[in-house]
Amino acid sequence: MVAYILHLAILAGIYLILAVSLNLIIGYAGQVSLGHAAFYGIGAYASTLTAMSLGFPYPLAALAAMMVSGLCGLALGLPTLRLKEDYLAIVTLGFGVIIDLFMRNLEITGGPDGIVGVPSPVILGISFRPPTLYLLLVALAVALTLLFTYLLVNSYHGRALRAIRDHEVTAQVMGINSPAYKVAIFALAAALAGLAGSLFAHYIRHINYESFGLHTSILIVCMVVLGGMGSILGSAVGAVILTILPETLRQFQAYQDLIYGGLLVALLILRPQGILGKGKLSLKFIERQQ
Amino acid sequence: MVLRILERIARVRTMLLQQLINGLTTGSAYALIALGYTMIYGILGLINFAQGEIYMGGAFVTVLLLATGRVPFLLAVAAGMAAAAVLGLILERVAFRPLRGAHPLVPLISAIGASIFLQSLALLLFGPNNRPFPLAFDFTPMQLLGVPFNTLEAAILLAALGFMGLLILFVRYTRYGKAIVACALDRDTARLMGINVDRMVSLTFIVGSALSGVAGIMMAIYYNATYPRMGFLPGLKAFSAAILGGVGNIPGAILGGLLLGVAESLGAAYISSGYKDAIAFIILILVLLVRPQGILRGRGH
Repeated sequence: MVAYILHLAILAGIYLILAVSLNLIIGYAGQVSLGHAAFYGIGAYASTLTAMSLGFPYPLAALAAMMVSGLCGLALGLPTLRLKEDYLAIVTLGFGVIIDLFMRNLEITGGPDGIVGVPSPVILGISFRPPTLYLLLVALAVALTLLFTYLLVNSYHGRALRAIRDHEVTAQVMGINSPAYKVAIFALAAALAGLAGSLFAHYIRHINYESFGLHTSILIVCMVVLGGMGSILGSAVGAVILTILPETLRQFQAYQDLIYGGLLVALLILRPQGILGKGKLSLKFIERQQ
Repeated sequence: MVLRILERIARVRTMLLQQLINGLTTGSAYALIALGYTMIYGILGLINFAQGEIYMGGAFVTVLLLATGRVPFLLAVAAGMAAAAVLGLILERVAFRPLRGAHPLVPLISAIGASIFLQSLALLLFGPNNRPFPLAFDFTPMQLLGVPFNTLEAAILLAALGFMGLLILFVRYTRYGKAIVACALDRDTARLMGINVDRMVSLTFIVGSALSGVAGIMMAIYYNATYPRMGFLPGLKAFSAAILGGVGNIPGAILGGLLLGVAESLGAAYISSGYKDAIAFIILILVLLVRPQGILRGRGH
């Protein structure tokens, strides 16, 4: 039982990083990414491959995962973020499909079987194989992510991002370079997703394409919307709820997606600010001016 | 020797032409779905992500009706289109209308939610398995001016072109069609002119969804398979087609859909069949990079 709770806690921590990073895109840059799991997957494979074939120690492998995911985010964000928000949604979704196909078909990713025997992290001679220690590692990553996003959101750059989301034209008139901000935040969120992927790969130790598909991307969007778009604490709560709830509702597994879909629509209509959104950050109150 | 080379050239040519016809057939389905996307985008300025599920719904209703064995084919097709239209109408009422005026992100996510909901509902109602099409069609191979094709492909292509023609006539020459264009160009002015904008939005959803439904039926016949997730990829690809042709542009959507179908079919045949589903999105990203406004410029209709 304790082992199970530890397992859930570790997964919740990983999803928390994913949800908080996606919230930067949705809640602060005002864009939708439907391919967040692709960056998560890229991070997982990058970390695994650098650790296994290049012999990188864990911290370096995690850093490599963040770099590769971040660069992919940059490459995808540059052509699309100059355009309207809908384009990013469809392009990221398509990107998710492309990455999914690559993970299934490439030789380096082990094809559909994936990669078995991902090494457990060893830092300063201490193996993080036992779940209690691994939870500490995840907790450290979560704490750093939360601290970093908190500082970012409350800085000059965070205010600039919110200005862009609330009224892009006004923000530009005030001298904010909105495309640059959007691309930067998108790459940053992708890098954080890469970190989550690295943590996941070295914990589960057997990765394949199934963990990083569209289903996961949508789950992360659900976490952000449930918690409240634009609320960091909300995303954290949303991630924890949606990690634990499906486990306790195992017998309703067939209805899981049905519930997610219904939940998304119902939430947006009834409580668009989510559980913890305060309203001032929620998107519903911004009138569309055209 | 010469004879053998000639024979070889003829074989290569036949294969190329076959892939072209194949691509045009699937492309015509993409084009029909893309029309729905483009019309809804033109009038509301948002993407109906659940369009692929409407495509699936139309196909399922037709297949279920035909499986009873008592419904004639054309009636079943009409019923499938009607069911798709009703589905679109409900979707507009539930997932879009309450959110009008919100940030464009909000209806987008709500539509994604609706799409997941409908897909899993179909999974629960119909089960995960493929259903073959209840009627058998003859695949008589034919040749026209040296182009090899079968009657099924010809029928699908002709029917699709017919529906596209009807849509263009509807938009250009009928009162309601012109009213839809007026709403797409300027909603407020259209309202001042006495057009009931809400009703035109509903009508757009009805027409767009019926077209998606008929595309679903065509592909259910062509691939001889109906299953809950069948609408997912065609829906995404059709949206790429709509962007490719310039969002909001009706001829652009048709052109984009056909081009995408042909590119995909050629890519699968000559590059790699494992990456077939990636081709549409790679093209989309490249087009956005070079010509973000689409091939034909997107504006109103």
